[in-house]
Amino acid sequence: MESYPLANAESVVARARSGDPAAFEALYRAFESPVYNLARRICRTTEDAEDVLQETFFEVCRSIGQFRAEGSLWGWIRTITASKALMRLRRNKYRDADELPDEVPSVKREDTALRMDLEAALERLGETSRAVVWLHDVEGYTHEEIAGMMGKTASFSKSQLARAHVRLRRWLGEESAS
Amino acid sequence: MTHLTMDQLLALDEPGLEPGAAQARAHLHECAACRAEYEQLRQRQARLRALPTLRPARDQWPAVARRVAAERRRRLVQRAVAAISAVAALLLLAVALRSAAPASDVEGLAAERQLADLMERSRALEAAIGAARPDQRVVDGRTIGVATDLESRIADLDRMLEVQELDAPPGRGEMQRVQLWRERVGLLNALVDVHVTNARNVGL
Repeated sequence: MESYPLANAESVVARARSGDPAAFEALYRAFESPVYNLARRICRTTEDAEDVLQETFFEVCRSIGQFRAEGSLWGWIRTITASKALMRLRRNKYRDADELPDEVPSVKREDTALRMDLEAALERLGETSRAVVWLHDVEGYTHEEIAGMMGKTASFSKSQLARAHVRLRRWLGEESAS
Repeated sequence: MTHLTMDQLLALDEPGLEPGAAQARAHLHECAACRAEYEQLRQRQARLRALPTLRPARDQWPAVARRVAAERRRRLVQRAVAAISAVAALLLLAVALRSAAPASDVEGLAAERQLADLMERSRALEAAIGAARPDQRVVDGRTIGVATDLESRIADLDRMLEVQELDAPPGRGEMQRVQLWRERVGLLNALVDVHVTNARNVGL
């Protein structure tokens, strides 16, 4: 699990708990990038990701008193971010049917930079599938945790992940001959 | 056994023993095609983790700070309304008790009048702050800091007033109450300066 260092974290959290605006801003500056990155990887648009960024830190400032000091600060903020982003998905009512059809031509590795291939393929996934891929493969959440956040079952999360990887493999031109 | 499905390949890395995991592992050991598929999956996951961190194009902190400050103001007003209601109820009770008793305490009556006057001024100043709609204005970080400090001090005063109301029964401690309310009016005056004057200067 990735962690993000914050100098004098205990002191910053203590000051934030007493309502110090400078401490709130210090928290924002320390975690702005990872929060936005997670939000943007789940949400369809930059505008939605920026809204999630704002909502997350508003919630962090409002609820910092509920953060347990023995836990991971980034873990706590990350869960708030993921919940807000998934809530945004539900609110927008995007459907997996909105994604581009599977029949998009496979892109040969040699044609484009590898990273761009993967970025484009990730963008092409349906919102739910992309969220599951990111939360599981990158953020390290278990299927049970993802299911809890999405209000679904662990089996749903597993099947979304498998389906997404089948598509990624095809879109990245990684289909095996077998 | 046929080749492993994507579900089975993914399940190989799951903690705990998934149903059929031992059989899938045995197949992986024997089947070069599935081993290649599994390795490709792991590489894809590693590449996902290596994607660059995306950053916001604009600084979102000013917007967050405005929302946080507005929330603090909302809570402050809620507390103030509760405190004013409690004080008003106690004053009514004190007046009722006093009207039943001989009117011997002239100083007490003067304090009550001062209290009523200060509470009225408090309400008027809070209305002025509300009318300025500070939560919808663009302000710099320093202004937010000054406003937040004033709001914190007002909140402290409200807590002291609540404690004072509980500790001192009606008819006693009026002068202390007058002093606290006077301070509250002073802080609200300063807050009006911050919000209303700032709004005029910025022209919003």
